[in-house]
Amino acid sequence: MSRLSAKSLLRCLMMVCLVLFATATPALAKTKFKVAWSIYVGWMPWPYAEESGILKKWADAHNIEIELVQMDYVASIEAYVAGQVDACVMTNMEMLNMPAASGIDSTALIIGDYSNGNDALLVRDGLTAKTIKGQEISLVELTVSHYLLNRFLEKNNMKEKDVRVINTSDSDIGPIFLSNDSQKAVVTWNPIVMQIEQHPGITKLFSSADVPGEIIDLMAVNTKTLKKNPALGKALVGAWYEVMSVMSRRGADADKALGTMAAQAESSLVEFKSQLKTTAMFYTADAAVQYASGPEIKKNMDYVRQFCFRHGLLGEGAESADVVGIQYPDGSVQGDKRNVNFRFDVSYMKMAAEGKLKR
Amino acid sequence: MKFLSMHAKFGPVTTALLSASLFVLCVAAYFTASHIRHQENPKDKIMPTIGKMWKGVENTAFKEDRKGEYRLWVDTWASAKRLGYSTLLLVLAVLLGLHMGLYPFFEAVFYRFILFFDKVPALALLPILFIIFGLGELSKVMLILLGVFPTIALDTYLRAKAVPREQIIKGRTLGAGSAKITYGVVLPQIMPDVLNTIRLNFKAMVLFLIAGESLAATAGLGYRIFVVRRYIAMEIIIPYVLWMSLLAFVADLLVRLWIKKRYAWYQAH
Amino acid sequence: MNDTNPMLHLEDVYMRYPSRDGTPITILNDIDLKVRQGEFITVVGPSGCGKSTLLRLILGAESPTEGAVLLDGKKLDAPNRNRGIVFQKYSLFPHLSVMDNIVFGLDAEAHGMFLGWLKPGQMRQRRRAFRDQAQVYLERIGLADAADKYPHELSGGMRQRVAIAQSLIMKPRILLMDEPFGALDHATRTEMQLFILEQWEQAEMTIFFVTHDLEEACFLGSRVLVLSQYYQTDAGRGQGAKIVGDFATPGGHPKPTDFLYSEEMSQLVHRIRSEGLSPDNLQHIRDFNLTHRDAFRTVNPEEWQREQ
Repeated sequence: MSRLSAKSLLRCLMMVCLVLFATATPALAKTKFKVAWSIYVGWMPWPYAEESGILKKWADAHNIEIELVQMDYVASIEAYVAGQVDACVMTNMEMLNMPAASGIDSTALIIGDYSNGNDALLVRDGLTAKTIKGQEISLVELTVSHYLLNRFLEKNNMKEKDVRVINTSDSDIGPIFLSNDSQKAVVTWNPIVMQIEQHPGITKLFSSADVPGEIIDLMAVNTKTLKKNPALGKALVGAWYEVMSVMSRRGADADKALGTMAAQAESSLVEFKSQLKTTAMFYTADAAVQYASGPEIKKNMDYVRQFCFRHGLLGEGAESADVVGIQYPDGSVQGDKRNVNFRFDVSYMKMAAEGKLKR
Repeated sequence: MKFLSMHAKFGPVTTALLSASLFVLCVAAYFTASHIRHQENPKDKIMPTIGKMWKGVENTAFKEDRKGEYRLWVDTWASAKRLGYSTLLLVLAVLLGLHMGLYPFFEAVFYRFILFFDKVPALALLPILFIIFGLGELSKVMLILLGVFPTIALDTYLRAKAVPREQIIKGRTLGAGSAKITYGVVLPQIMPDVLNTIRLNFKAMVLFLIAGESLAATAGLGYRIFVVRRYIAMEIIIPYVLWMSLLAFVADLLVRLWIKKRYAWYQAH
Repeated sequence: MNDTNPMLHLEDVYMRYPSRDGTPITILNDIDLKVRQGEFITVVGPSGCGKSTLLRLILGAESPTEGAVLLDGKKLDAPNRNRGIVFQKYSLFPHLSVMDNIVFGLDAEAHGMFLGWLKPGQMRQRRRAFRDQAQVYLERIGLADAADKYPHELSGGMRQRVAIAQSLIMKPRILLMDEPFGALDHATRTEMQLFILEQWEQAEMTIFFVTHDLEEACFLGSRVLVLSQYYQTDAGRGQGAKIVGDFATPGGHPKPTDFLYSEEMSQLVHRIRSEGLSPDNLQHIRDFNLTHRDAFRTVNPEEWQREQ
């Protein structure tokens, strides 16, 4: 019987681990990609792109395969951070505090829209900014709802300490708020906002329309993967703007597309359309490029990163909001230049705007 | 292959080593994987190194957070209170089971209902619970209770039924009334078994606690795990999970010791 | 033993259970029995004859399908402190010490459950008196040193002694014993037989003792009841057990140990075995050995058509 030496045993163990985690290691040139999405009005074009065959057409044109996976929102970003998927839809805030703060260099490939009322602070009994002090407010902590509340308090010269935040699961926040009259205030997002708002005695005190452009919905792609596989970027951007053009065309075709999206979001066409109204979609690549290249986005990102820092979302040990570098299309970096993990890259959108993408 | 035989005998040291081996293997596998991930990405948050986890412990247990709280202790206390109240209320489950086992009336009224109730997945009723009992502590305690109450009641019921008829008749022939037989003969006899069942249900109680805290809370071990998940703070989640396991293990141990001390006669049974 | 009124009286007692297909099965068929105070009655019979059922009827744990069971002229309904019981197993409360097991009855009768909380002083005082009383019984059963032990720490024989003391302290009208020594080894068994005879003599009590051991029955009993389902009537083979034998054991009582090895004993045992316990020998009811002075029976004319 031969005996295993400690060294060879360790090597064995390492091998096992390597095999286990090799699957989780992105950034190799490949032809098959996984893209995660979750249900939200601004992201419904993705499942439509898949169902209508637009996505496959663009993937085929670039000789790659793209698999869309639907997941829960937080789980999808976790999967992205763990390297299980190559790209994932998320807001600028989660992109900063989940992948970027975890050292996963990510690129905002597509700037799809910003929330223009989809997130809102709703109150009952005519509560106002003056009387909200000391009240319990239900929301999902450390999400854009929490951010929105902070912006509301800031604008009214209050601090988070002035209210009591109750962390409440998004799956039940609507029914719980509606059935408990003792709950006076809630911050949540659509379609829950819409459902709550319909009830009598509920008023909207503040919404993302009051801070336009701050909560941005993006398609985040692993930067290394994107660099090695520009085809992925081209196919995704191409497919996206083709869907955008269908949606913005108005008329029967657009309604059919919107109907498909509504069905996949499990809402009616009317509801879906009303949600679109509170979503500022960038229907053209040009508009998105302009917004990403303008000065406003830097100011808005600064609000977001300061919030993340204050709440420890950039890591418990972070000394300032500068720990993560955010790079803008003009090449400037907000924060640590040696640790750029959040990139606004408009080159692919530009190609779309200029019609340079091969279909 | 002698060591695999049914008659294999191991000294205390070998036994200890064998028992430790799987623990060591798990820990080693974790840190190897963590090391590999960190070589690739020093900021990896999914599998933090031991140093990062220690930092997480330090930050939560020994340093005030931005609100001026020592989070780990605040959370532990909040969760412990919820579990404590639920455990106290389980006394009702034991009493119900006891009466179902001894009094046909209680059996007729409750048995089938509880049996059915036991099969209802309590977690699915969660939103209803929060609507009925509000967002406060009550709803969390009720969730834990609904989750384990039927199990404990049914177990007590079966154990009360299993007490030999002879014991009850003997009690009667000695002049004992129903109360004395219920609480003086049957209950103390089944108590060690009932405590064991409660002990084995600690895990379920913790699961229900976490589920309740994930839904609506301002403090608690489960709450923290769900909130810090929003920024993938595994360096906090892993120590929290280990801490919860440790607490559950200690609680289990205490009950076992209590049974051994208080119910010496039970061991020989 | 001079009173003419029997303390226990069973007349025309039938016990039937529904069988699986719904038709009733007769277990006890027309039992008539009178018992005077101070008797030591042993009950034997083939297995399945209903000895324990008869015992449970007298205990009050079951009610007869027909007929009446009277104790001191009153109908029995549930077990109470007038009848003590010693089972083969489960007689002692496993969670109580020997002392607490013996004191149990006195305690239960004196204060129910909750007096201890209401009047702790009074309770303590009574407790002390009870313990003194129990100590006397512990000495009588020779287990004075075992007061603080738990049942599982005792041998089988010791446990049965405690169970007997536990019942005796309540001074029941009648002590029922259901194969109490059935699980003991031979030596302990003999010892326990002498012990129970001693207790019977001292306490002047009435014992109703079920056993499957014929020698034990003949040695212990002042009166032996043979219960059997193996008999025949004019209507055919018997259904359910009747008392096929009811007689006083020969000689005085209690008997000397020699009696166990006497010729008389072996004849008696042989007779009981052949008349009552053998399925091949079906005695006619007119031949039953009902010679005890208190033996009586009511007769069903279908079963016994008397010759004109």
